[in-house]
Amino acid sequence: MKHARVLVLGIAVVVLAAMQGLGAATTTGNVTVSVTVSATAKLALSGSTVTFPNADPDTSPSIAATEGAITITAKGKTSTGAAIALTILAADDLKSGTDTIAISNVTWTVSGAGFAAGTMNKTTAQTVGSWTGSGNRSGTQSYALANNWNYATGAYTATATYTLTAP
Amino acid sequence: MSMSPMTMARRQLLVLAAVTSALSLMLVPAVGAQDLLLTITPATISFASADPDTTPSIAAPAITVRYHVRNNDTGSWQISLLATSDLTAGTATIGINNVTWTASPAPPFQAGTLSRTLAQTLASGTGTVQGNRTGTVVFSLANSWTYNVGSYSTSVVFTLTAP
Repeated sequence: MKHARVLVLGIAVVVLAAMQGLGAATTTGNVTVSVTVSATAKLALSGSTVTFPNADPDTSPSIAATEGAITITAKGKTSTGAAIALTILAADDLKSGTDTIAISNVTWTVSGAGFAAGTMNKTTAQTVGSWTGSGNRSGTQSYALANNWNYATGAYTATATYTLTAP
Repeated sequence: MSMSPMTMARRQLLVLAAVTSALSLMLVPAVGAQDLLLTITPATISFASADPDTTPSIAAPAITVRYHVRNNDTGSWQISLLATSDLTAGTATIGINNVTWTASPAPPFQAGTLSRTLAQTLASGTGTVQGNRTGTVVFSLANSWTYNVGSYSTSVVFTLTAP
């Protein structure tokens, strides 16, 4: 009986040794992977001109732009939780020689998450859109001019500048 | 000193078992032990910052994998990749599944996508690879406007296994 135990012990040791020998051989190497994401802002407008046609103030108290809505694509990379802002600032009132139409008569409506309706201003930049964190946002902006019998005849123009900020 | 025939037989068996065990411990590892080599150069790679519109996929400089698998007879071998985490910059992360790779020569190398939970096969084969072989791996990061600003990093562990 004892002989049998000794034999079993010997065989077990052999089996364990064999299993150890058959274990997987392994070696490893490491690579560190890194990327730096920098603050970036990119703005695209579907058009650069807005035209208000002549119209009867009684029948068209608000004149929509001939070009229709402008599609705005605002892309930005910023820090986690930081704000990305799109603003617009008019350079001046609408002017035709010495005649002027106050730029505050130009308003806009919007579509798209984060975009905001507003009124044009020549002294303080007005918010067109605001978002939190990095992303690619798209929306539309539709301009309108408040019509008025008081406007002098003429071809009026003004320039406005959009600014997209991703701090 | 006299011994009974039974005691002598027991001793012989004990000696036989001990010798067999010792021989097994000495011989089996020597026979079964594969000689593996795995070197990765360079040890650090970086993805350059780029505009996602013009560069939707950012390629990093190529990595050279040098390896051999000796004393492997007809056994299989495999080189796998496992990321230790997502690309991380403080609390900001970029999912490691945004990092893919291409590799050559194919076979034994193959393309894939990094994972932080499941080792992915980079190369595999069977038998002994006697001489030193090399492969080239190029990692690429899917670029996106949704990534937050930061300096991200992680580690990728290359493992050569010959079962």
